Amino acid sequence: MSYHFGRGRSKWTPYILLLPGLLFYFLIALGPSIATAFYSFTDATGIKGAPVHWIGFDNYREFLFMGRASIDNLEALKRTLVFSVAVTFIQFGLGLFVALIVNQNLKGSNIFRTIYFMPVILGVVIQGLMWSLFLYPLGGPAAKLLSWLGLRSEFLGGPPEQAFAWVIFIQIWANMGITMMIFLAGLQTIPAELYEAARIDGANPLQLFANVTWPLLTPSVNTNLLLNVIGSLQAWQLFLVLVGYRNGTQVLGYLIYATGFGQTSGSVTSSFRQGYAAAASIILFLLVLVIGMTVQYYLQRRETRILG
Amino acid sequence: MSKKMFSLLSLLVLLATLLAACGSPAAPTASSGDTAPAQPAEKVTLRVLVHQNPPMVAFMEEFNKKFQEKHSNIVVDMSVVNANDLSTVSQTRLSANDIDVLDIFGFSNAAQPYMKQVDPPNWQQLIEAGLLMDLTGQDFLKYYDESALQDAGSYNGKVYAVNLGRVSYSGIYYNKDLFTANNVKVPTTWSELVAACETFKAANIPCMTAGGKDGWPIFVGAYGLLGSIYPDQAALVEGLWTGKIKWNDEKSLEMWKKMQVYARDMMEEGASGIAGDAAPGRFASGAVAMFPGGTWYAAAIEAANPGFEWGYIPFPGSDNADDNKYLFGKYDQGWAIAANTPNKEAALLYLAEFSDPANYQAFVDAVGFIPTQPTAKLNTKIGTEVAPYLANFRVGYEQYWVAPKGAGQFANPWASYFKPFGTDDDPQVLADKVQADLQAGLDAVNK
Repeated sequence: MSYHFGRGRSKWTPYILLLPGLLFYFLIALGPSIATAFYSFTDATGIKGAPVHWIGFDNYREFLFMGRASIDNLEALKRTLVFSVAVTFIQFGLGLFVALIVNQNLKGSNIFRTIYFMPVILGVVIQGLMWSLFLYPLGGPAAKLLSWLGLRSEFLGGPPEQAFAWVIFIQIWANMGITMMIFLAGLQTIPAELYEAARIDGANPLQLFANVTWPLLTPSVNTNLLLNVIGSLQAWQLFLVLVGYRNGTQVLGYLIYATGFGQTSGSVTSSFRQGYAAAASIILFLLVLVIGMTVQYYLQRRETRILG
Repeated sequence: MSKKMFSLLSLLVLLATLLAACGSPAAPTASSGDTAPAQPAEKVTLRVLVHQNPPMVAFMEEFNKKFQEKHSNIVVDMSVVNANDLSTVSQTRLSANDIDVLDIFGFSNAAQPYMKQVDPPNWQQLIEAGLLMDLTGQDFLKYYDESALQDAGSYNGKVYAVNLGRVSYSGIYYNKDLFTANNVKVPTTWSELVAACETFKAANIPCMTAGGKDGWPIFVGAYGLLGSIYPDQAALVEGLWTGKIKWNDEKSLEMWKKMQVYARDMMEEGASGIAGDAAPGRFASGAVAMFPGGTWYAAAIEAANPGFEWGYIPFPGSDNADDNKYLFGKYDQGWAIAANTPNKEAALLYLAEFSDPANYQAFVDAVGFIPTQPTAKLNTKIGTEVAPYLANFRVGYEQYWVAPKGAGQFANPWASYFKPFGTDDDPQVLADKVQADLQAGLDAVNK
């Protein structure tokens, strides 16, 4: 199919204009993704000059079925899903609640919008450093608060479940501002007349939310849910900064990083296994694809049903 | 299959082939001759990579300044990375031909004949890919111990790295003032160590600290305990692979019981939040009686509190004092040169200058390494402390161990599995879990 634009040579103009962007996308995003899929079937080390052998499904077999390590990998997969569900729903609910509050024409609401959004502009390292200091068990602010109640905690260094819960909390704190902003933008597109008409009809605040706000926020709901699901499935940086490579806390994204880039403890030398890490990446990609597509399918159906 | 589909697939395969071709073997670099390095004719920038170790970085900055003053046509561009990232950064920069001289840890974790289906360690992968220069025959090698060159920098009879020093990681720093004030004798047995900790705790003084936030300082701190039970650590690794030693046999169970006491009762509350590089400062503050850790911390302790009185002893893990006389450790930092460096003369000159006995002595004095040049003296305080045990220095477990593929995440002798750092509080249950995780890997590779 050709695009009808001008005559003669000028009809190619849109394609020529699209070409740099397409090439950039192909080189930066699609190309490496295809290469990752290819390398997942090899014993590639990532070292220039090292031979690369085709080993079929060996990496996948090792990741999914070999010994106890495969059970640990599946545990990481399960943990990734738990992390994603917890982050998605809490961040979604909290973001919506805060957006509804700061959308009121109250005094100082702009300041609160800024405060809630502020963590988003900090880098992951800064976020991690801030919380590591706040949760420092030897006299950090959180430890002091607990000590006034006669309690103590190791926080991020405590049992893995506790450390994991803290990462969920910090991930939500760090990204809730984006969710809030998207909802806020959605809320401001809802015409005030609709609320006015509903109020004249005798709608109470709950009915206003259920019958005016919620249906008209559908595009924002869809955007937020998709962003939260995909973002949380791929999250790993906060795990690296806050807890490091610890048994019982790894998610799939971090597992891939540690395997692919030979993360070591001090001077212990390990092998570079980028082929194996590529296989793990493809498994994560499939997970994100299946969940992302399913969520998108249902959200689109819902949007069509509500907004037509 | 439609034509469009076929064209798309062909394109994908072509791209994958092109990308794979980028990884084809490179020609290895020839060995250098037996001559002193020459001055480069033109002005060059020498790219040097080192790992983060504050006293070492401070020394290198000073050394680079003097080197540049002496060789005005060479500019040294030094990068510093975290120790955990050194191998990744080295691999990336070597592949991109973006480095001339690199810091490389002593060669270790080599595959042994009794190991099955293990991948070669990263240093071996780099050599086999032709990325490290063969240094055999270089004049400056004569300054170093033959054994250090052989054990920590050679492969297939050729020298690829000069190792700059050994470190011990199985000792304990102790606070002399607190020991004197509380009338505690420096422990030489496990029972004495337990009693010492009880005395300190009764006086409201935390017994031990460590950089638990980084994870590894907790379990590395207990490697002395492992060593007192298994003094021949190469044999331990072979025994684990061949099934002659198990992590849940009677001897190992004793180790787990002691590790629990170490993690639960000896380590101070809150140690899990202390970062690895903050732990020496915590100890040097005088608040804690002991600090299990490597000799590389000594310079940081001295820098944090120059007047602080401390000593260093092997970890007394056994009730027989004779079992506690060993120091376990590793070959630490070394130098290697990128095989494809365009600045070969400058790189060799850099290593030759560094290896000069006077410069090397200043280096070991600054970082506290146990020297690999036989003429160098142990001038540092930590050198004096470890001198009585040097005859009993052994390469430790961590440098021999290679986990079988398929082994679970608990297949290690780590004290950090115990509460409050981990979730376990029963030595027998943990021992069974660790052995099961190891056995799963052994079974998988022996199939």
